[in-house]
Amino acid sequence: MREVGRYYDGATGQRLTVDLELTDAGVMRLLHAELEEGVQEWPYDQMRALQDQARDDQLVLSLSAQRSDDSGLIDTVRLTVVGQALIRDIKALCPDLDKRDVARGTGFKVVTRLGMAVVAFCMMIFVILPALANTFASIIPIEREVAYGKSVVRNMERIFGGSNAGDLTCSSPKGDAAIAQMLARLTSRTKTEYDLNIAVMDHEMVNAFAALGGQIVLMRGLIEQAESADEVAAVLAHEIAHVETRDPTRGALRAAGTAGLLSMVVGDFTGGGVALAMAQWVLDASYTREAEAQADLYAREMLGRADVSTAGMARFFDSLDGLKGEMPDLPIYLSSHPDSLERGEDARAFAQDQGTTTPVITDREWTELRAICE
Amino acid sequence: MSAQIQGRYHGKGEPLFWLYIKTALLTMVKLGIYRFWAKTRIRKYIWSATSANEDSFEYTGTGLEKFLGFLVAIVILAIYLGIVQMVLFFAGLNLFMDPETASGADIVRQVAAIYITLFAVMPLLLFAQYRARRYKMARTRWRGIRFGMENAAWGYVWRAIGHYFLTLITLGILAPRASFYLEKYMTDRTWYGDARFEQDGKWTALYPAMKHLFIGAGFIIVGVALAALFEAIVAAILLSIVGYIWMIVGAVYYRVQAFNYLTAHKVLDDKIGFYSEVKTSTVIFTYIVGILIIGAVSSIAFTALFVVGFVGAFVTGMSFEASLSGSMVGAVALAIFGVVGYIAILLSLGALSLVIIVQPIIAHLVDGVQVHGAEHLDDITQRSADLGADAEGFADALDIGGAI
Repeated sequence: MREVGRYYDGATGQRLTVDLELTDAGVMRLLHAELEEGVQEWPYDQMRALQDQARDDQLVLSLSAQRSDDSGLIDTVRLTVVGQALIRDIKALCPDLDKRDVARGTGFKVVTRLGMAVVAFCMMIFVILPALANTFASIIPIEREVAYGKSVVRNMERIFGGSNAGDLTCSSPKGDAAIAQMLARLTSRTKTEYDLNIAVMDHEMVNAFAALGGQIVLMRGLIEQAESADEVAAVLAHEIAHVETRDPTRGALRAAGTAGLLSMVVGDFTGGGVALAMAQWVLDASYTREAEAQADLYAREMLGRADVSTAGMARFFDSLDGLKGEMPDLPIYLSSHPDSLERGEDARAFAQDQGTTTPVITDREWTELRAICE
Repeated sequence: MSAQIQGRYHGKGEPLFWLYIKTALLTMVKLGIYRFWAKTRIRKYIWSATSANEDSFEYTGTGLEKFLGFLVAIVILAIYLGIVQMVLFFAGLNLFMDPETASGADIVRQVAAIYITLFAVMPLLLFAQYRARRYKMARTRWRGIRFGMENAAWGYVWRAIGHYFLTLITLGILAPRASFYLEKYMTDRTWYGDARFEQDGKWTALYPAMKHLFIGAGFIIVGVALAALFEAIVAAILLSIVGYIWMIVGAVYYRVQAFNYLTAHKVLDDKIGFYSEVKTSTVIFTYIVGILIIGAVSSIAFTALFVVGFVGAFVTGMSFEASLSGSMVGAVALAIFGVVGYIAILLSLGALSLVIIVQPIIAHLVDGVQVHGAEHLDDITQRSADLGADAEGFADALDIGGAI
């Protein structure tokens, strides 16, 4: 039976309707007067079919040739055959129709390119951008930092449900005096570069944070959770450390620089959101863990110089560890803060070497501080 | 005598649906890396379904080259974006005023400083857009002959910024000028083998296509005027809603009519002409029916998932509350069921939208295209290969270009 196929040589757009002969000699013969010498022989084991084709009533064939990983260079001869019987015969005769030819050296190329991209990307995220953030953080004028820090605190307040600026800020004459007294005690022997502005926010969260330019916020929940003023002082000293090392400024700059970089890598696919959140989390944690450890060290020394016992600090971290039981336990590389128990141990060890210490503020002042939100 | 060729689309819903599901699952399992191969396979299907004069198109792109291109692109982008974003943020910080003392002008300046980051990405988006089209052209063949586009992405970037800026400051009145000249820029640099395309026609001829946009805008303007002059608020709101919907439909109408006009005025090699008869009503109908079906399917599927999960909780012998705090094994099993069900539904919806919206519209478009003077196609010979340096890597990293 005479079979035909549509042949395109890849050099001209001329269609040749060639006669096809499936021989027993392991080759398919293509016959047409305009072919060189009137005939072409395609070995069965070198014939390839195009993949993921929409039409099952035709088969588009090509020859396995010198493959390249740049698809622009792949060989261009094409033969389209039509008809179920012919397609079935060809499929039966050609063993490697669906084989994917890979150019030599592809694996090596992929590995080296991947390696270079990973190294370059990590350099950018872990070395260059943080270094740039450091430089910028050290040259930005303090008053700009203060202005930005204030607006950050205000936004924070809005997030926690205050509709107007100052809505959630707790203030009472005696409570404010207690805070001022605590601050004076802490900074009596440690000079600070920034004017510190400490606010108490009416929210039950056990937390505190430092924004840019000396803006420090203590949450009501933290003051309620603390058993003594020394614990609050420890947290305050920790936040002062962040302010002095310009961690919040650096963090904000770094966040601006890395924004969108991770989502670029992960791409947009179902489940990508989760992968992205996890990657962002690991990245943030890797940035902040060291800064947290530094701030703890600074806080211990600040308390030590002010003759305030770091036993309060130890107790605070112990209680944090108790709170953690309600949340899933995270491995250390995932958590943005070092392990609470370990931090408590460090504070306890430091306290044992301290000389005479006195409470950071008097009991009466502590009572008034606790009542600041009432 | 002039030979005529009619485009034909042969794709079917079911095989494409399963191809999408299969590749999307592989993408998920391989943490997103497979997306380059997934995109390639979907394109191979759609290209091969498109035929003219019985010869199918062929997509020769590969997942591997896309992946390699992407690796190059993310490094360049990480360096550019990281540094530019940080510098701009720093500049923005320096403009920052104390919120208690800032004046109106200061605040405007601050906001501008923050949004300028977006403009840092804009040229890259346009660059990626041109490169993605060029890559697609370079990897498309018909009768074994390659399409191709010249390497002129930066020229496109500057022109596009200029045209979009003009469009913006004229409130969209010059939009046809932008669409015409940008399409002309790309078409005039497009080749099929050794034959060049050319975009003929006039940009002002696109104004009739804008008519429904103008009518919609007219409704809104009348509505606003009524509200301002006579305080007829209800009438104003109604008119604005009508105008808004009219404009959405008008935008589709514009795109379809502009496509028809621009296609009809393309010339290949000075001899070969084209004709396109895409119908706005078909496109809009396909969209609306598709969205209704997807909406219905998703609400039924999510309800079913919830009900089955709820019943499952009872069958395994616990109340809903117990599943939160109590028996861990049951809760974990339930959670896995929920997650698997949720992902399955999301994937199916993605596949559905490809099969009942995207593919039918492509089919309608392909079926409506005719080629005149086709006998000259035989004279065209192969062009040298375009090596796809970044193979769409920028477009992927910046998340433009969609699935196909």
